[in-house]
Amino acid sequence: MSDQGSINIPQIFVILLVGFLLYRWFFTSSDPAGIRQSRQNGARLNPAQVEQLLQMFPQLDRRQLMWDLQRNGGSVAATTERVLGGRGLEVPPPSFQPQLPPLSSTSTGARPGAAAVKPKPSHPDLITRYNLSSKVGSSASIEPSPKPAWSQNKNERQQLLQRRREEMILAARRKMEERDRAGAGGTA
Amino acid sequence: MATSVASKRLFTEYRHLTNDPPQGITAGPVTEDDIFIWEALIEGPEGTPFEGGVFPAELKFPKDYPLAPPTMKFTCDIWHPNVYPNGNVCISILHAPGDDPNHYEHASERWSPIQSVEKILISVMSMLAEPNDESPANIDAAKMWRERRGEYERRVRENVRRGLGL
Repeated sequence: MSDQGSINIPQIFVILLVGFLLYRWFFTSSDPAGIRQSRQNGARLNPAQVEQLLQMFPQLDRRQLMWDLQRNGGSVAATTERVLGGRGLEVPPPSFQPQLPPLSSTSTGARPGAAAVKPKPSHPDLITRYNLSSKVGSSASIEPSPKPAWSQNKNERQQLLQRRREEMILAARRKMEERDRAGAGGTA
Repeated sequence: MATSVASKRLFTEYRHLTNDPPQGITAGPVTEDDIFIWEALIEGPEGTPFEGGVFPAELKFPKDYPLAPPTMKFTCDIWHPNVYPNGNVCISILHAPGDDPNHYEHASERWSPIQSVEKILISVMSMLAEPNDESPANIDAAKMWRERRGEYERRVRENVRRGLGL
């Protein structure tokens, strides 16, 4: 019983060989067929599909996307699968010159959406967060920043770190204000 | 046991960052009672629209640090292709080797115990200057950075000023 049920080594070889040949047959024969098919319906490339893919993968090249779409017969799912699978897209041959939409139309098309997302300052500014409003105006009273030092005392360390943070924010703010003043002086 | 290794290492890194802080970076635990949560301040790199800004971020360390990397989240409004709209930073040094969802990162760029908080913060600083177009975390920002650079820079500058209360 067990002799009949188990597969011996030559049988495994045969199965592997047949499997390999089948795989190769599908693989090599599907490629030219794909090209032939796509040449036939090359004209019906849907711009909406291209846009959809570009929105999903803005990092990809439009021409490569169009080439892949054309080759798989306009299947967004297949192209998505291919990109997500990490296989990347093929570089289209130079003879492939699809009609690219003018750049300005796509960017103005994207603008309303982007602008709608924009206004939502969800975080308080640093001055509010660190209660620095009392120290903002008194630019004269600011001593040179303390030398970075490690204290053995835990509380002292905490205070030093806090002080360094505040110094950094106030210094940035002062610099920005100076730049503003210089800019205003320059234009006036 | 693992926790004590992690806190010792974090404490050493804290001391090092205090004694010898890199230019434009201040970092340390929010309170030493919990050394696994840090706050970092990063200055915007010069010559970029982030110049002049100070960007706060929160670092959360896992209990098995440094085997696993911390997570980093900006706690300010930051408009950048590699920062998610909720502030989470997407950068290869914060990804443990093994989980590479995008198949483009070299193992050497990713997290390993020989990296450090200092290296993370320096990497993030240079990420601000040079966004990585390959892994957009904020698609809108990535698109704007690529196609409408002027608008992108204006928006970043606005955030910088707002962050300083101006």
